[in-house]
Amino acid sequence: MSFLQPWLLVALPVAALPVIIHLINQRRFHTIDWAAMRFLLEANRMSRGYARIRQWLILLFRVLAIAGLIFMISRPLASGWLGLTGGGRADTTIVLIDRSPSMQQVGQGTASSKIETGVAQLVQTLNTLGSTRWVLIDSHTAEPREIDSPDSILRSPSAEAASATSALPAMLQAAHDYIKNNRTGETEVWICSDLRANDWNAQSGRWKSLRDSFQEFKQSVRFHLLAYSSPAPEDIAVRVTGVERRTTGDGAVLLISLKLTREANWGVEDSAPGTQSNARGKLRLPVRFEIEGATSELPVEFEGREFELKDHHIPLAGDHPKGWGRISIPSDLNPADNEYYFVFDDPPPRRTILVAEGDEEVRPLELAAGIAADPTVKCEVETVAARQLASVRWEGVALLLWQAPLPSGDAADMIKQFVDRGGRVVFFPPKLPNNDAIFDGRWTRWVEPPEPLRIETWWGDADLLARTQSGAAVPVGELIIRRYCGLEGEFTPLATLPEKAPLLTRVTTDRGGVYFCATTSSMDDASLGTDGVALYVMIQRALAAGAAELGNSLQLNAGDRFPTTADAWTKLAGSEDVLSNEYSYHAGVYAAGERTLAVNRAAQEDDAPILNDAQVAGLFSGLDFARVDDQAGNVTSLTREVWRLFLGAMLVAIVAEAGLCIPRIARKTGETQ
Amino acid sequence: MGPERQTRSFLDPLALGRLARLPLFARRPMQGNVSGKHSSLHRGSSVEFAEYRKYVPGDDLRRLDWRMHGRSDRYYVKECEADTNLRCCLVVDTSGSMAFGSNGTTKIDYAKRLAGTLGYLAILQGDAVGLSCVADDIVTEIPPRRNPAHLTVIFDLLERAKPTGGTHLVRLLHELAEKIRQRALVIVISDFFADPQELRGCFEHFRFRHHDLAAVQLLDPLELEFKFHRPMRFIDMEGGPAVFAEPNEIADRYHKAIGRYLQDLQKVVVDTAVDYHRVNIDTSYEQALMHFLVGRTRAGSVR
Repeated sequence: MSFLQPWLLVALPVAALPVIIHLINQRRFHTIDWAAMRFLLEANRMSRGYARIRQWLILLFRVLAIAGLIFMISRPLASGWLGLTGGGRADTTIVLIDRSPSMQQVGQGTASSKIETGVAQLVQTLNTLGSTRWVLIDSHTAEPREIDSPDSILRSPSAEAASATSALPAMLQAAHDYIKNNRTGETEVWICSDLRANDWNAQSGRWKSLRDSFQEFKQSVRFHLLAYSSPAPEDIAVRVTGVERRTTGDGAVLLISLKLTREANWGVEDSAPGTQSNARGKLRLPVRFEIEGATSELPVEFEGREFELKDHHIPLAGDHPKGWGRISIPSDLNPADNEYYFVFDDPPPRRTILVAEGDEEVRPLELAAGIAADPTVKCEVETVAARQLASVRWEGVALLLWQAPLPSGDAADMIKQFVDRGGRVVFFPPKLPNNDAIFDGRWTRWVEPPEPLRIETWWGDADLLARTQSGAAVPVGELIIRRYCGLEGEFTPLATLPEKAPLLTRVTTDRGGVYFCATTSSMDDASLGTDGVALYVMIQRALAAGAAELGNSLQLNAGDRFPTTADAWTKLAGSEDVLSNEYSYHAGVYAAGERTLAVNRAAQEDDAPILNDAQVAGLFSGLDFARVDDQAGNVTSLTREVWRLFLGAMLVAIVAEAGLCIPRIARKTGETQ
Repeated sequence: MGPERQTRSFLDPLALGRLARLPLFARRPMQGNVSGKHSSLHRGSSVEFAEYRKYVPGDDLRRLDWRMHGRSDRYYVKECEADTNLRCCLVVDTSGSMAFGSNGTTKIDYAKRLAGTLGYLAILQGDAVGLSCVADDIVTEIPPRRNPAHLTVIFDLLERAKPTGGTHLVRLLHELAEKIRQRALVIVISDFFADPQELRGCFEHFRFRHHDLAAVQLLDPLELEFKFHRPMRFIDMEGGPAVFAEPNEIADRYHKAIGRYLQDLQKVVVDTAVDYHRVNIDTSYEQALMHFLVGRTRAGSVR
């Protein structure tokens, strides 16, 4: 129960007035000498049940009548939404809406999605509660935007479902910054979310600093979570894991790999139309392929939670060198994960620029960058001197290998621009390190240990030294390091020598990849050149990543920034109602000039567990937090004023009290005879 | 009327004058020792025919009815009613509860007026009058005498009677029933706050002893109505524990209790043929006495 005027509840003790008056009246007794005591004593001995109950009932109804009056003027709301401490008109109300694809899940027996229901409920509730200022924080840009009224949320694109993963910590950080910068008064923060772990990132250390920051505010900041945590056990997600165009003797074909994923607690019966399932959970559904307007269908039958289809051949009509396509499955509870877009193109040549001080270093790097693992992929290596960097045509360059003193000035700016475009750079130490720094990294001095070293630890989960697809580790441990160069700066070590000396590190950047390798391919420095597998894998992976970023066809996760192009991006496929400035958040195929890209939900969206209650409570521990669980399609308002109920209760109490107080018709006890 | 004559607070000469015209009759044959207004157990020589009885040797030949002999050729003796005086025993309850009165008049005042007036009327018509004051025991007792000077003694005793202590009415009535040897008119003036079933025993005891018992129950209107407007602490006038009560809360049950008591008592007095009068002490005692005397006149004798 919540109240719009909770301060009036301080008058609640007045409800005890009838009891107090009763007690005072009891104290004002008179004393009388009485003869007929035997009847008094007998009356006392008689069953007092009803008489006593009647007295207590009268008192109770009086108390209820007053309490009902006080509750009524406090404007109660029929919901636990605000919590008992809530209520009152807030100075600022900040609304955070989780727009992640999972919020498009519809409820059982309804066409309304979680986000539609949540927004409608929020608008209705906020209209009831009122506030001086309204702020909506977009779940993708995390930028606060002031709005006129809660009704504006209904019209705002920032409250529509999208394909991008939400970042609740970033949104709350934005809310925190807004409160801090605008010095708001009493603030309410409303969060509408389905509590998916990938959106909330509950493991992030950011939550603790957020909690501490919010607790430091002197003004009251209350958090209200409208949770739509019901899972969709029958939901199936489709995802393309690989697209490759090949030219065969019969013409061009497209090799498509895809994955179907069910939720962990999927049921035996499947509600998705067009699908059939038997009692063992075997599922049969048609997968629909749409490539450049041509549609084909593949019936798929699978058991278990996941199904993977590798390299499904689809002949390309007309030998399209490039194009786009869409894979879809019949709609189910969450329409957001029923289709997946992709683009295809001939892979561009992978160009590498190599800057090296000596031939001994050049050759191994040239070989590693120049020979592709896939014979269909062309690799080109251009060796230039550091001072000739200005003459390099950067278009199409995917990787820069730099074994020279760190660049400065214009050369450094050019490299930064290259990285911003998505390029990859690997810096190797020069023979004579100087004090120049780039990307906050700087070589210090060469260290030559008495005995050759071996790499002690390396990161085999991801990035350049990740295990192969078959699970085999890159033979990094076989490398012998005879000397290495010290490195200063902030970076993530991917491989370290004994005593934590970094050998391969990655610098965090917005887009591209910047690596520092603390030794060279020279025989005098390490066995990178002779035991060339590790070096080859590193270089090829960096090259592939850079080429993928810079190629004409690109697969992007929703929310990733579009590459900068001279032409504006236009939509080839996807939702019709998407604004152009929202393209990057919505699944679809977009084109700018020769470049096309497909935007889809991130992979984590298909396998995101829902945070349990304890986890959510833990995230807001120490904060003024209230939670209410709702379901998609719920049409019952979360909050509505129920003062009429209390008025009715008060009237009932008054009438009941009056009924109990009506004196009985006195019976004549005796008459004179 | 000499200067030495005392005025009694419980006597109203005017009322006495008005009530003197009404006789005080016994409902049963009395066993007096002088002639009077009341029927006697024995046949006598009054003018009121009683019955014919067969002559048995030894009967007074003067009482043979010759006319009857002429008609039936049998010897009959004509018997007439004998009139005698009565012994009136007044029993006044002087227990603590008799001090109660809500309108200025207490029950004991009322009882004194009744007893004094009845004593005067009885002496006036030549009957013997005695008085017993009872509380937790028989406090004082004056045997019946018909001497007019005896009235002074009775009035003095009534004058001194003070309501105090508890009451053991049932035990004392049993004791009085035994003590009063000859048939007598016993008038008990009390509030009779005792168990009706125990009172039944008393009343039957009096009846067994051939006494004509009259019970005058004095009740205060407040005791019947039980109207209070605020919580009350009731202190027992006979020394029992005090009771704190919210009258509004307890009134129903009080009325139920006293109603049931009066109903039971009514049944008891009907069963035991007691001349019972419930008197509300806010009514005129003269009217109450008038009612009492007239009622006895109408009732006739009960054998």
